[in-house]
Amino acid sequence: MTAVAENKPAYDGKVLDLTGKSGARAFKNTLATVLIVLAFAVAMIPLLWILFTVVSKGYHLLLSADWWSQSQRGITVRRAGGGAYHAIMGTLIMALITAVIAVPIAILGAVYLVEYGKGTRAAKAVSFMIDILTGVPSIVAALFVYAVWITVFGFNRVGFAVSLSLVLLMLPVVLRSTEEMLKLVPDELREASYALGVPKWKTILKVVVPTAFGGIITGVMLGLARVMGETAPLLILVGYSKNINLNPFDGFMGALPTMINQDRTELALPNAADRVWAAALTLILLVLALNLLARLVARFSTIKSK
Amino acid sequence: MSVNRLFRVGSVAVASLGVLALSACGSDPEPTGSSSPDSSTSSAGAECPQGTLNAEGSSAQKNAIEEVISKYNEKCADVTVNYNPTGSGAGIKQFNANQVDFAGSDSALKPDEQTAATKRCANNAAVNLPMVIGPVAIAYNVDGVTKLTLDGPTAAKIFQGTIKTWNDPAIAKLNAGVTLPSAPISVFFRSDESGTTENFTKYLKAAGGGAWTGEPAKKWTGTGSGKEKSAGVAEGVKSTKNAITYVEWSYAVDNKLGVAQIETGSGTPVELSAESAGKALAAAKPADASGKDLAMKLDYATKAPGAYPIILVTYEIACTKGLPAEKTALVKSFLSYFVSKDGQASLTDLNYAPLPAEIQTKVDAAIQAIS
Repeated sequence: MTAVAENKPAYDGKVLDLTGKSGARAFKNTLATVLIVLAFAVAMIPLLWILFTVVSKGYHLLLSADWWSQSQRGITVRRAGGGAYHAIMGTLIMALITAVIAVPIAILGAVYLVEYGKGTRAAKAVSFMIDILTGVPSIVAALFVYAVWITVFGFNRVGFAVSLSLVLLMLPVVLRSTEEMLKLVPDELREASYALGVPKWKTILKVVVPTAFGGIITGVMLGLARVMGETAPLLILVGYSKNINLNPFDGFMGALPTMINQDRTELALPNAADRVWAAALTLILLVLALNLLARLVARFSTIKSK
Repeated sequence: MSVNRLFRVGSVAVASLGVLALSACGSDPEPTGSSSPDSSTSSAGAECPQGTLNAEGSSAQKNAIEEVISKYNEKCADVTVNYNPTGSGAGIKQFNANQVDFAGSDSALKPDEQTAATKRCANNAAVNLPMVIGPVAIAYNVDGVTKLTLDGPTAAKIFQGTIKTWNDPAIAKLNAGVTLPSAPISVFFRSDESGTTENFTKYLKAAGGGAWTGEPAKKWTGTGSGKEKSAGVAEGVKSTKNAITYVEWSYAVDNKLGVAQIETGSGTPVELSAESAGKALAAAKPADASGKDLAMKLDYATKAPGAYPIILVTYEIACTKGLPAEKTALVKSFLSYFVSKDGQASLTDLNYAPLPAEIQTKVDAAIQAIS
């Protein structure tokens, strides 16, 4: 700057001030900052509010061992006691079955889209269908399974039917995230593998998928967290039971969302209200644990893209 | 990579350990109180089968059946009874679709429902077993009004929407000395198909003096805004000033709502109590004199002094024949406990009225006839 000034033949005394901001720009800057911070605060208010309400109203039941180890058998809405064991197990079992069905299909589908079908008409069709599936509301998925499972095949309402409808909701989430992760794997890795004479399937199995593993697991966890709070399939496809039922193929089954729904109708009674809040907090904690696990996995195994 | 792998194995191990730890220690809570079964238990259903019984239906009897299930489990610990209070309409549908073993309903089966139920019971009749009597309260939330009296025609006009404000002359006439606000009346009704709605509209039709123009039905045809389930309408009235609804008595009590007295034409307005509901019940007769079907015929327009006219009888609907043997044993065992003295005695605390002894005997006989 000084060099330029020295070269000027005549210095007219005017200084181009680059140090501070002009009034209007300073104002715009401040305004934008304030707006952004405000937007952030507005977005945080409901979140913190919900968290605070649920935690403050629900935590005390969670502190007792009974909550984690007992069912609600014989506990009417007027009585205190019992736990959410039946519902926690129901939620976990249904989520586990969902994952067992949905994850392999989703990962293989993503491998097809990225590695084999790139640009083909079939891949475009699959991709389009997945987009549609992403937008299917949970109640539609539930009614579809109801139509197939109960109306056509004449089976009873069971936990497995819920898992089937949750598969429809989880599949697109996991498939899309896996697809993105596989796309992030640098082509150089694949080419290096091919150059060494490794066949394509082995490259995918030993190079591409392991490289993207962290991201895939994150997607799976997020997909699980998404379906664990779904309520519509539970309402339509399985009856709520206060008793422990660990068999997803027979009988009614408890789950945290339906446990909340069951006692929600009795909020006038303090014992029932306590259980509703505690069940809500338990569900939030389960989903939170899954999300944290996903974050941890992601941190320890991110793809280093250049 | 090795760190990754280690972490991968580690996280899976931790997750599965967590699940295992949780699954290792689950149990049912110990029955509360002195759980030793009463030695004087009625002879009916003396033995306890094993298994799971699934039922669904009326939310009006939810509190009653939950209490009875709890008591029943003190006696028969190996039976699991699930009851989903999704509404009478849903209960009958699920029963007819072979999804549950018996249904709870606030009204007896209609002819077309009976046809479907017969099909479901492998071409055997399904039976309506009156089990619980629940008074329906006209519950309101009006500031400063602790005592409200209504009669049939006024109630019908309010729920029809022809009376729109609280200080309407028709209401004022029945409530001399009560300051009624000029605010509009917000009516809440059950948005789901409900036996409570059907019983209440039967009352409005019978006692409304022509002011109720619709036919009695599970679906509401009057005015107002809909809320789901008994708890929904109770909550709606609780949170809305100048609101009114019809709801099972226990929900009105639990939500601390005002309950209207009914002027039946007997001269003095009748307050809702177990006693006044029982009086109306004494007038109830089985609809079918032959005694085969136990559906009750209630006299909603009763003018008997001290009788509260709006009551509903909730039924259990079960197959007379055609269920698998082990389910039959379970249904018989549970329902005969429900109708027994012990079973019925636990209901009064929950703002239900027990069945009269004569009807108890008949219902028990019908249950014993299930095979």
